[in-house]
Amino acid sequence: MFVHLQGPWNPLTGRLAWSDIPYRNAIVDGAFAFVVIGALVILTWITRKRLWGYLWREWITTVDHKKIGVMYTLLGLVMLFRGFVDAVMMRTQQVLAVGPHSPGFLGALHGYLTPYHFGQIYSAHGTLMILFAITPILQGLMNAIVPLQVGARDMAFPYLNALGFWLTAAGASLLMLALFVGDFSHAGWIGLIPLTELPYSPGVGVDYWMWAVQIGGVGTTLASINIIATIVKMRAPGMTWGRLPIFSWTALSTSVVGISAFPVLAAALALLGLDRYFGTHFFTAGMGGNLMLYTNFFWIWGHPEVYFVVLPAFGIISEVVPTFSEKPLFGYATMAAASVAIAGFSWMVWLHHFFTMGAGPGVNAFFGIASMLVGIPTGVKVFNWTFTLYKGRIRFESPMMWAVSAFALLLVGGLTGMMLAFPAIDFTVHNSVFLVAHFHSMLLLIGFAALGGISYWFPKIFGFRLNETLGRRAFAFFAGGTFMVFVPMYMLGFMGMTRRLDYIAHPQWLPLLIAEEVGIGLYVVSVYYVAKQFYVSIRDRARSRFAGDVWGTSRSLEWLTYSPVPFYNYAVLPHVNSRDEWAWRRSHGVASRRPDHYEDIHLPRNSAVPVILGALATILGFGLTWRIWWMTDAAFAGIVMAVIVRAFVRNTSWTLTAEEVERLEQGFEDVPPTQTPADHALGGAVVLETADNPP
Amino acid sequence: MDRRGFSNRLGLRWARLIPLLALSGCSTRAFWLFHPRGAVAAAEFHVMLLDVGIMLAIVLTAGLMALVFLYRYRKPRRQAYDPTFVKSNRIEVLVWGVPLLTVGVLAYFSYQAVFATNPYHPKAITRYEKTEARKGMAVGPAGALRPAITVPGKKPVHVDVITTDWQWLFIYPHRHIASLNKLVVPVGTPVDFRLTSATVVNDFFIPKLVGEIDVMPGMRTKQAMIVSKPGVYSGYSADYSGGGFSWMEFVTKVVTAGQYRRWTHRMAHARRSLTDTTFNRIAAPTINLAHTPKAFAHVQPGLFRHVVQRVMQGKVYATPTAMTENMKKPRGVRVIH
Ligand code: HEM
Ligand SMILES: [Cu+2]
Repeated sequence: MFVHLQGPWNPLTGRLAWSDIPYRNAIVDGAFAFVVIGALVILTWITRKRLWGYLWREWITTVDHKKIGVMYTLLGLVMLFRGFVDAVMMRTQQVLAVGPHSPGFLGALHGYLTPYHFGQIYSAHGTLMILFAITPILQGLMNAIVPLQVGARDMAFPYLNALGFWLTAAGASLLMLALFVGDFSHAGWIGLIPLTELPYSPGVGVDYWMWAVQIGGVGTTLASINIIATIVKMRAPGMTWGRLPIFSWTALSTSVVGISAFPVLAAALALLGLDRYFGTHFFTAGMGGNLMLYTNFFWIWGHPEVYFVVLPAFGIISEVVPTFSEKPLFGYATMAAASVAIAGFSWMVWLHHFFTMGAGPGVNAFFGIASMLVGIPTGVKVFNWTFTLYKGRIRFESPMMWAVSAFALLLVGGLTGMMLAFPAIDFTVHNSVFLVAHFHSMLLLIGFAALGGISYWFPKIFGFRLNETLGRRAFAFFAGGTFMVFVPMYMLGFMGMTRRLDYIAHPQWLPLLIAEEVGIGLYVVSVYYVAKQFYVSIRDRARSRFAGDVWGTSRSLEWLTYSPVPFYNYAVLPHVNSRDEWAWRRSHGVASRRPDHYEDIHLPRNSAVPVILGALATILGFGLTWRIWWMTDAAFAGIVMAVIVRAFVRNTSWTLTAEEVERLEQGFEDVPPTQTPADHALGGAVVLETADNPP
Repeated sequence: MDRRGFSNRLGLRWARLIPLLALSGCSTRAFWLFHPRGAVAAAEFHVMLLDVGIMLAIVLTAGLMALVFLYRYRKPRRQAYDPTFVKSNRIEVLVWGVPLLTVGVLAYFSYQAVFATNPYHPKAITRYEKTEARKGMAVGPAGALRPAITVPGKKPVHVDVITTDWQWLFIYPHRHIASLNKLVVPVGTPVDFRLTSATVVNDFFIPKLVGEIDVMPGMRTKQAMIVSKPGVYSGYSADYSGGGFSWMEFVTKVVTAGQYRRWTHRMAHARRSLTDTTFNRIAAPTINLAHTPKAFAHVQPGLFRHVVQRVMQGKVYATPTAMTENMKKPRGVRVIH
């Protein structure tokens, strides 16, 4: 042991003792009961239906990008739910704990949460929502759609893809474990320094946070590498850069941000780990440490990270708006350029997260103006979407409603972002709930876009639609909740209310806090409808099946293949003739999905190694958190061994013969699409390239 | 009013209505940021109005355009449907040009405002003193509704701020007095703060008087303010610092010059003195539920520098586990009711 630890330690169980399981806390007990009962119901159901073999073969060991995408999205939705419960708890605490005479329950002085417990909840909420909810949902959509959009059979590195997913799942599991075994960090999703140092956070909470984020971050980095490789190297013939769908452009920009930013976070967390485990002084206040170094590192990752999540959302909006306006996207080239520009600017603005640190006016002015530059390409996007609507024929189906609301949130968040980008304004609203409302506008924009994206592409992947009525209800309550929570929150920011308060000393804030509580109630209703929507849609799937393009006016390449998508994506790799290939094929009457010949297809073989590595990473993180050294050693040795064993596996692929492809293809129904007037309106040069007439 | 100078120059009087619109009907009293009582806070507020005004012009245009298009071109209406409208160089120029120009204009104002509100040397204070002085000469004392309270070049009051877990210590180094959880300053006089923390990072914030500045252990930051109206103002930490953070409040009493002088004299006779030992006792983790103030006389000279240096040498006031993991029964923690 290099550092002094408060509390006992023993070689067998490290810092872990029975008393670390907070069974005396009614709230944790409730959550535990909920999770255990939920898990038991699901596990029994799987066993009764004899689904274990199927799950293992078809999902857990899969390397198919669509299934991994679905699992990513599912993980994200589950975490979104957990983060949402955290949000309800925080809102409720703030409404109860107002003024010195407010009552206390469950051992708390005011409200029902003790300060440290409240701190854990908001830290878990932020970490979860950004890294384990929004990021996986977007990764899931990119995973499922990008290979289809560029006309590839899978990701460039299918095995790596599975590994990335299971590492993300490992990080999420560690975070969930923190709920029941020990505590989570109270130092915020950003890891407020030096609060995260051992003297001020003596428990295991910060360690849980650190390892969960570290492991999940490795997963995200791997996923970014994969998406870049896929888009750069795996595009179908004819898919030039000028024809790449905008969603893929944003996926590419975002992944470049991802691979360049995540290593900075990994380094920062590693140094923090050295401080906490070896007693070094990288980020301590004394002994030559520099705490602002951590803050800089964190935001050099943190700011690009927020653009990492917003760019795919912009991509989704750019796909949904043209489809439901029955018109191609306005200004394709500038849209692509704006995506790349946003990614580029995102590296030079990190200091706006701590204008208040006392830097000179020159530094603050530079980063303030740099932050405003991001507003230019963002403004371009806003206007281009608006002109896509112009002279369109707009249908308000649920993906479109989510997208339009995302647009509205972008306006609000952009306006407030441009306020925060003024150092002089930031001084009055930094760390206030105004700031919280700003980034929630932005992150909810992503949430809206992601939910829109799910309802837009769900039919593509599964071959049946989500229930529209329930979807609309879910949307209405979600939008209402957003309004009711965040308008009062902006106002409270102007009243001077700061963030992360577990006790409210100023009773004049109470009315607006009550309004926020009503808003969160609307969200609860929305969550109910989202769940019901999935349940009802899956139950009645036979009635809403379709074989081709549900929306009738979709434009990009992914709609060229069948729905649900066969595991090999395309029987014959398509030749791309135009931007908006699917619309082009419709207009030229070559929209048949039946190829004129079949060929052998090489496919990657399933592998159990990624899930094993994920499990070992969870154990490693758990051992490190509790300082159980035998466990970390064993898990680490296991990881090294699994990697070596995998390196010697020879047959990692198999061949699907042309005859088999033909037999499989006979099973799909080839519904010819109806032409729409917009099909003829296309950008880019058009050359007819079919299999008989190669370029 | 201190705001008048700044806002008249920018011709921004109308913009004061914006906060009213946001809450049509209700009073805006509770919106502290809309009622600044210090020159720095006022400058911050006015640049906010300016920024929001300019940005709203664009945001509202975009929003209205989108709404009109969504309404006009919705499906059943089949209004002038033209799917070939996908590119227009003229619109493209506008689409890039308008945001570019806006950012250019905003950048200019932001640059100006950075210097006006620079915590180390806010131009807003000098500017405020000048306007007040001019006003003082123009309006005779008899007819003056609000006589000038500021004489330019008045010697600033120095206050050293030290945050602990979880209290505020204000030291008046020139008078060798100190006050816990209560800041008293004279109206119309510049106040210069030096700030440091004995433990973790906090953020010094008095919404109606001055914007935020980080308070960091082992480091010294600065802030300056001038207050235009006597009164009692709330101040607190804006940056989460652990279990007692929500109670980390202090009152700011802004008094007339005479009252201030009397207060300092009273303080000089306080029973408690403040030495290293006393400071260590204050700095031990304490939750001050009622924000109880305390007065100290005979403050050890150089205490502020001493605290900074000791933290740099590795001194920590560690939080006991009982104060983090189990906040139900705070053991080893003093809770002042
Ligand atoms: C026009 C574009 C934007 C500008 C100018 C902008 C500006 C800012 C500024 C200056 C801050 C720091 C405020 C403070 O801490 O006092 C901030 C915080 C933040 N922004 Fe934005 N922003 C923009 C867009 C976005 C987007 C697209 C996202 C996310 C998807 C986002 C998410 C966040 C988050 C998460 C934080 C704060 C994190 C924290 O302190 O916990 N912003 N933004
Ligand atoms: Cu940022």
